[in-house]
Amino acid sequence: MTDAGANWLDILLTFTRLGLISFGGANLAEIERVLVGQRHWITPDTLASGFALGQVMPGPNMLAMTHYGFAAGGWAGAAAATLGFYGPTALLSAAAALAWRRLLGWKWLPTIRSALLPFGGGVLLAGVLVLARGSVQNVAGAVIAAAAFALLTRTRVNPALVVIGAAALGALIGL
Amino acid sequence: MSAPAAPPPAPPEDAPHHPPAPVPVTPTHSDLLRVFAGVAMVGIGGGLPAHMRRAALGRAWMTELDFAETYTLAQLTPGPNAVNLAAMIGARLRGWTGALWAVVGVLTPGLIAMLAVTVVTLGLPGGLPAPLQSALRGAACAALAVMLTAALPVLRVVGGLRGGWVLALVTFAGIGLLRLDLLPVLAVVVGAGLILHRPRPEPERP
Repeated sequence: MTDAGANWLDILLTFTRLGLISFGGANLAEIERVLVGQRHWITPDTLASGFALGQVMPGPNMLAMTHYGFAAGGWAGAAAATLGFYGPTALLSAAAALAWRRLLGWKWLPTIRSALLPFGGGVLLAGVLVLARGSVQNVAGAVIAAAAFALLTRTRVNPALVVIGAAALGALIGL
Repeated sequence: MSAPAAPPPAPPEDAPHHPPAPVPVTPTHSDLLRVFAGVAMVGIGGGLPAHMRRAALGRAWMTELDFAETYTLAQLTPGPNAVNLAAMIGARLRGWTGALWAVVGVLTPGLIAMLAVTVVTLGLPGGLPAPLQSALRGAACAALAVMLTAALPVLRVVGGLRGGWVLALVTFAGIGLLRLDLLPVLAVVVGAGLILHRPRPEPERP
């Protein structure tokens, strides 16, 4: 699994594309389609567990990309995935911020926002579906997911704690 | 190669008689690195934009309005929003190199932690011990719930847009159910959205 299978340049380009086409959050459906279905770099299990690990890491929760990159091509793969996923979009953001004065008065800006948001919402929902297929494999899993959802929406508990609690529960019941 | 510096702290033109606003502070590169790494550490479990707002406003790096504008813009750029927001704040404060240090800062703590865990979980010969595997499955189920709660605010906004629900459902069906290629779906859905929300000439003012 970590035998540096894939070429780092291939990984860099693939993750660059994945970064540039996520709007409004992680585009997990496309990530699964490409990394699991097309390239066979990771398994559905790795997809789900890497995503879960990302939730308990400090910082942005899409650090799962580094995990996937490592699975695809070892250390070079992890570096290429991280650089590809975060680099170009950060560059684009910096450029947009430096041009912000002109951009904010632009009359098409609200239009673009209103056009991108439904797409982003649909993509997020598709990601939920993909993640559910990978992570909920039995009734106990569904119960944990439902309980976590109830906790997250009804209390102000830190999501990282919920994920860690679910991990402890999973280990305890041998999920 | 010199980057355009952050916008100069010019006083607002329309308020010449008001007392000057508190002098904005320009952070050094190491300030950016340190503060954004700190934001990443306290942001375990999410909420990074809120932590960035507190860090930038609390140090008088930005005003509330500066932050709101930057945040809006960060929603529009593709890619991970929290990292984009860090890049934008860094760029506004210190140009291109400021963006670089802010991004490095916000990514570094998580990268170290993620790599450490990754090497253990993916590198074990014969795979993970059963209890650890069960723990990861439990964590994945909770992460699903986290993802769903992250989607809800977006969907609420989408529901208020003209054609929002239809376009979101078309996207969901195309990408989630039919597993179509993303770019054609993007072209159709965003194209339709652009037409629906195209700027219209404002009504004549007297």
